[in-house]
Amino acid sequence: MAKSSDRDSDGDNAADLSRRRFLRGAGGVAAGGVIGPALLAGGARAAPVTPIPLAAAGPEELAGLVEIELTINGSPRKLKVEPRTTLLDALRTRLEPALTGTKSVCDRGNCGACTVLVDDEPRYACLQLACDLRGRKITTVEGLGDPASLSVLQQEFVAHDGQQCGFCTPGFVVAITAALKRDPRASEADIRAACAGNACRCGTQPQIFEAALAAGRRLAEGK
Amino acid sequence: MSRQDAPKKKKIKVPKVVNGIESEVEIEVDDVPGGAWPDRASLRLLNHDLPRVDGPEKSSGRARYTHDVRAPGMVYARLLVSPLPHARVKKLDLDAARKVPGVVIAIALQEEPKWLGEPIAAVAAESVEAAEDGLRALAPQLEAMPWAVDHAGATRPDAPRVGKDGNLGKPETNGDEAKARAALKASAASITATYTVPIQHHSCLETHGVVVDYRGGDEATVYCSTQATTGFAEEAAKPLDLQASKIHGLNEHMGGGFGGKFGLGLEGQVACRLSKELKRPVHLMLTRRDEFLMGGNRSGSVQTIELGGSASGDLLGMVATSFKHGGLGRGSLAGQPYIYAVGDTYRAVRSVLMNLDSSRAMRAPGHPQASFAMESALDELAYALGVDLLEIRKRNVKNPEAWRNEAWKRQLDRAAQEIGWAAHPHKTKPGPATGTECIGIGFALGNWGGGGSKGCEVEVKIERDGSVSALCGTQDLGTGTRTYMAAITAEELGLPLAGVTARIGSSRLGNSVGSGGSVTTASLAPAVKDAASNARALMADHLSRVMNLPAAGFRFMPEGIVNDQAKSPTVMTWAKACATLPVEGLRANGVWVDSLQATGAPCVQAARVAVDPGTGRVRVLHMVCVQAVGLPLNRLALKSQIQGAMIQALGYATGEGRVIDPVLGLQMNANFEEYKLPHALEIPRMTTIIDDEDKRQAVVGVGEPPAIPGAGAIANAVANACGARVRELPITPDKVLMALGKVV
Repeated sequence: MAKSSDRDSDGDNAADLSRRRFLRGAGGVAAGGVIGPALLAGGARAAPVTPIPLAAAGPEELAGLVEIELTINGSPRKLKVEPRTTLLDALRTRLEPALTGTKSVCDRGNCGACTVLVDDEPRYACLQLACDLRGRKITTVEGLGDPASLSVLQQEFVAHDGQQCGFCTPGFVVAITAALKRDPRASEADIRAACAGNACRCGTQPQIFEAALAAGRRLAEGK
Repeated sequence: MSRQDAPKKKKIKVPKVVNGIESEVEIEVDDVPGGAWPDRASLRLLNHDLPRVDGPEKSSGRARYTHDVRAPGMVYARLLVSPLPHARVKKLDLDAARKVPGVVIAIALQEEPKWLGEPIAAVAAESVEAAEDGLRALAPQLEAMPWAVDHAGATRPDAPRVGKDGNLGKPETNGDEAKARAALKASAASITATYTVPIQHHSCLETHGVVVDYRGGDEATVYCSTQATTGFAEEAAKPLDLQASKIHGLNEHMGGGFGGKFGLGLEGQVACRLSKELKRPVHLMLTRRDEFLMGGNRSGSVQTIELGGSASGDLLGMVATSFKHGGLGRGSLAGQPYIYAVGDTYRAVRSVLMNLDSSRAMRAPGHPQASFAMESALDELAYALGVDLLEIRKRNVKNPEAWRNEAWKRQLDRAAQEIGWAAHPHKTKPGPATGTECIGIGFALGNWGGGGSKGCEVEVKIERDGSVSALCGTQDLGTGTRTYMAAITAEELGLPLAGVTARIGSSRLGNSVGSGGSVTTASLAPAVKDAASNARALMADHLSRVMNLPAAGFRFMPEGIVNDQAKSPTVMTWAKACATLPVEGLRANGVWVDSLQATGAPCVQAARVAVDPGTGRVRVLHMVCVQAVGLPLNRLALKSQIQGAMIQALGYATGEGRVIDPVLGLQMNANFEEYKLPHALEIPRMTTIIDDEDKRQAVVGVGEPPAIPGAGAIANAVANACGARVRELPITPDKVLMALGKVV
């Protein structure tokens, strides 16, 4: 069953663990691999852009502005980022055109508004470094459906009014999409646990639970 | 209409809201029959559950908020805010910031910040990361100045002077103290207690901010997350040095407001200045920490209440001595005895100034604070007298408008039924603090105006291709504005909901009132109805000429348009009828009609909690709200709004509150890991009831009233469960244990 802790950066794979160690050591200035001097001096648009391949298994040194390719919503997207650029900032400010469905609310992993899927697992985009995700499959809320062809869950969010101002909605939609993928028969307790890390200030949670359960029923019945 | 046949005028009272704070003014309106809403039974769309029309955009991440605006050549700005409540900036290295690669501008804003979080500099850069590098490069050196950030610090004899005339505002008094004290003395029982509420943060998920798009020339576009879309161009005109009419204000979607987002704000002023200087679009959204420090808040208060009553539970005397904590502002607090009637009341309220940002309106400014203290005191007195908690409320609601008292009484019965009061054992005294799960029930009442006023200009357009739109430069805070605009128009024209598009969020559309004090719906909906009926009349007039039939005979129905005065009535489709329009289609305007709206939104809430007297843990199990709403436009959205207000009150009661260290001058909880909003695991069972006994055929806004009683109801339920009377919000386990005498 989905636990809220599934969604912070404490993934159990080796890359995550090494980054955690690194983040601790670096005291908040984050980079994937080793911090270069150019980065410490601040990212520069004028700096040479280095195209770099897939994330290496071992340590690699990245500095300045680097060009990477990310697989976002099924399409390869080229973008220029700094080693410290989070996936959240990459999606919202580095992609052309930007993908702004993923919201920036706390920028430190405690509101869930920036939840995306990385290889189908929910992750906070503000706690992921963009250059670490080369070769991984990234799905944002835009990749789940569009207004003309909403996913089953998105349809139920609309039907049950699981949204008021709507700013937290993408994060809830992505988190619950992952939970229903694991188990469409998820109980209300499962759903609550799956979105326990998502903040909603309008107080829409009860309708969100209803929407999730309704979507689960439809998905379980294959409708 | 010519001058001589101008209609008679009449004077009516309407709410006036300035920065979300409601007061009442008298205005003059035309004394003409203003139309009426159709009978509830005949409504196809209104008074039904309508999924919001912009729901698909929101749930798919396509809705564009100010935060999401991207413009060519746009730079990202960040503010350096004062980390101290009062300081002098000794050194600020603007040159170092300007040398940071990517930084395009760095400016100083304030040399002597006088409140925690006051912006002292701003930096803009090609990327978010570079802007943050720029802020670090400023390396400010601050000299701490004396400050006061809490009640004790601001009121001690040697307190630093925060305001020119000292820190304590003049007492606002009301009533005769000697009479009130005599009544207290004559009471069968009386209580004296002090109730404290902290500063609560709006915590909108979208922070305050703007995107200012000025690229030279004499025009600019300003995107702003605001509760008054048609109201900020004038403010932006000055820093941009442009004519207000040349500034296009936009606000397609906004991520919450709750009263805190009026005006352009300091951040908006700064962004205008930067954009003007750079001739480039500037994106300036507050970071979450900045939002906590400078985004406004609900003022705190300390209220000492002496309350006495007769043996049967009639309230006889009250003395209320209160202080408001509104930072550098005056704060707000509704007058005691709040909604109840007491024989003789004396109250004195004073503001206490501190070196903190000024409080702003937040859902029913001053009311949740007053309600928490009054409802708590009422239960304390009821226990002292041995009177039933439901009974004491029914006895003491004596509003001059009798219908409100009737509403509260029936709502109390309904709430009691839903929360399981009849079977509850502790009706006149709290339960014992034994075992691990003490169950308690609490009640509290709310009241608000919710009426509207003039100020919304609506246009309804019918095009030759059959499309229909309703337009107004208003905003949707999450309340479903677009949906009811479309529904009212569709209802009037016999169309399906999807047949009408609502366009809002632009200053180039008709003027709108600001969305504060629950005035939007009662101001806007009548104007939409007026515009739609005018459009219908114009359409009938047009068809009568085309078809040579009397205009009065046309009926607009879902099946199509029929003229029942025709010899052999045939149904004409909407598309066919519209195809006969001239190329420019048809336009109709609408203004506010007072007969379509009303004032008065009483409500009752009840809470059931479980308290573990061993650990002090409180679990809220069930919350109930019965809310009068007049004519419900969209039941689904109304329930969402009411329930959301209850959940905000749940946060106020159990987890939220600004914590500032008075010595360090730091806010200890300026982000969501320490400032605890209610999350999925804390949400109780929620029962949200629209009071359908309220038969008024008039629209009433209810953004505020359901935000009022929740905290009082929960505090009362905790005390009812096991005698733990917690008089300071939020009700955390330590305070429960202290109230039980288990820790000191």
